[in-house]
Amino acid sequence: MSPSSAGRAAEPILRIEGLTKRFGGLTAVDRVTLAFAPRRLHAIIGPNGAGKTTLFNLISGFLPSDEGRVFFAGQEISRLRPHRISRLGISRTLQVKSVFQQLTVSENLWITAQAKRGVMNPFRSTSSYRDTCEKVERVLEQLELTRLADRQAGTLSYGDVALLEIGMAIAADPRLLLLDEPICGMSPAETERTVVKIRELAQTIDIVIIEHDMEVVFEIADDITVMAQGAILASGSPKEIAANEEVREAYLGRPEDEDYTEEPARA
Amino acid sequence: MIARTTIERGLLWGTGAFLLSVPWLIPALADRFWVNVIAEILIWSLFASSVNLLFGYVGLLSFGQALFFGFGMYGVAIGVEKLGLGFWPALGLGVAAPVAMAFVAGVFAVRLTWHYFAIITVVFSLIFYFLALTMKPLTGGDDGISFTLPSTFRFGASEWGFAQEAFQYLFILFTVAACLYAMRRLLGSPLGKAFMAIRDNDVRASLIGLNVYWLRLIAFVIAGFLAGLSGALFAFFGRYASATYMFYHVSGEAVVWTIVGGAGTLLGPLVGTSLFIVIREVVSTHWQHHSLIVGAVAILIVIYAPRGVVGLWRDLLDRWSAPKS
Repeated sequence: MSPSSAGRAAEPILRIEGLTKRFGGLTAVDRVTLAFAPRRLHAIIGPNGAGKTTLFNLISGFLPSDEGRVFFAGQEISRLRPHRISRLGISRTLQVKSVFQQLTVSENLWITAQAKRGVMNPFRSTSSYRDTCEKVERVLEQLELTRLADRQAGTLSYGDVALLEIGMAIAADPRLLLLDEPICGMSPAETERTVVKIRELAQTIDIVIIEHDMEVVFEIADDITVMAQGAILASGSPKEIAANEEVREAYLGRPEDEDYTEEPARA
Repeated sequence: MIARTTIERGLLWGTGAFLLSVPWLIPALADRFWVNVIAEILIWSLFASSVNLLFGYVGLLSFGQALFFGFGMYGVAIGVEKLGLGFWPALGLGVAAPVAMAFVAGVFAVRLTWHYFAIITVVFSLIFYFLALTMKPLTGGDDGISFTLPSTFRFGASEWGFAQEAFQYLFILFTVAACLYAMRRLLGSPLGKAFMAIRDNDVRASLIGLNVYWLRLIAFVIAGFLAGLSGALFAFFGRYASATYMFYHVSGEAVVWTIVGGAGTLLGPLVGTSLFIVIREVVSTHWQHHSLIVGAVAILIVIYAPRGVVGLWRDLLDRWSAPKS
């Protein structure tokens, strides 16, 4: 993770060209073309079913795309399997929180940090890997999870699981972090704590975040991309997005009002 | 208050000391035949450990481990009887054959998970069970092949081999103990943690960069090694090999022993196997329907102690050693 030179700064960390994914008749992601500049916190917003998570699944190799290509730091990753993409330096969290339930918090971080460096040794004790253990300690401190280090992940509160998941994402030393609704379902206090952490992380790692909480998105994002029905509706700075009439109509303002007025009519 | 680890360590040393002294202690205190019962328990608990490694630590429920047990038995029996091998080369064949078979079967089986995986393991073991039944000239079919024991060590005029009961018992004990120790090392190693990560969440495991397919294949081959080695030991122990040990009924028993003892705990298979074989030995002399008791015990434990006897024991210890509030 060297600080980017002038030459590299121009190259997008992630470039997507005409990416398309169909599920039967439904086009979940429709010829999406995007470029994320490095050293900025990007947010993707859009109503449910807009294709945000599917886009993440395509980038991380979790789903094969039907058309289009994805480049990570200039290298094409369109056809690679998930663990290959992860090893190149893209970490992601899942919308439904998923950690290794029966492992302890530090074991969760340990295996994540070590995964790229090789796990085939069947005899050497995990505690003898000094680099990896130090990394685990650092992440524990960074996310204030040290007091929970020896707890089984399955026994943690929801907010702590979400933090652990972010911790796992950064334990892998990623160059790009994809966060899928990291604060969904959190209490206000947990949300505030997590937002602070994400901001800190954005100092050193490129982050793309999917989030529904508009307040949070407009607070932390440098760039916002709006998706609707699988396609890109608008892209720009928070100010530009807030001022964009199309976005306001399609997403930010009216639809919710309409939903409320429609409800009684259906009943 | 005694700490939980102190109690467990004491118990472990006690069990170890008892197992070491069996060839001398048992004949002094009880019927000799218990020496062989305990030897048999050790072999079958090694077999159950192969189920435990797959199910308890990688999350793959195999109902086909008897295939590798059978390959271990036949490796030894065919090695000694048909190829005229000595003890060590025959043992080597009895380990190499199941490991190779596990690799071939694993290449197909670990593409699948859950019931699909369970079914394909049963199918593999059934195919080879019927093959072994029909290839009578090689396998002896139902009757099996018996062989004359080769000696294990020979120093000048003195010979050591399975014909001596104490030597046989200790050889089995040390082999099983060495395997359990290696497994303990494995569980504390990067490979072991990777296995457990896959058990807990295979999707997440691939997202963090673990090659789930390859790791499952490795686990499957290691499990094939454990099952094969136990089969090879059992062949020397019984001086014969038979296709009946490849039937999936044998695999199923190991699954029950493992789950009752405590899947995902190192010594769970040993505990479960001991429990059931002791029940069998004690009850079957008085009552031929001893499997009814075995079934009832299994059902009760699965319902009331889902983490097996070892899990139950740990819960009790935790409750007992927890600070009173």
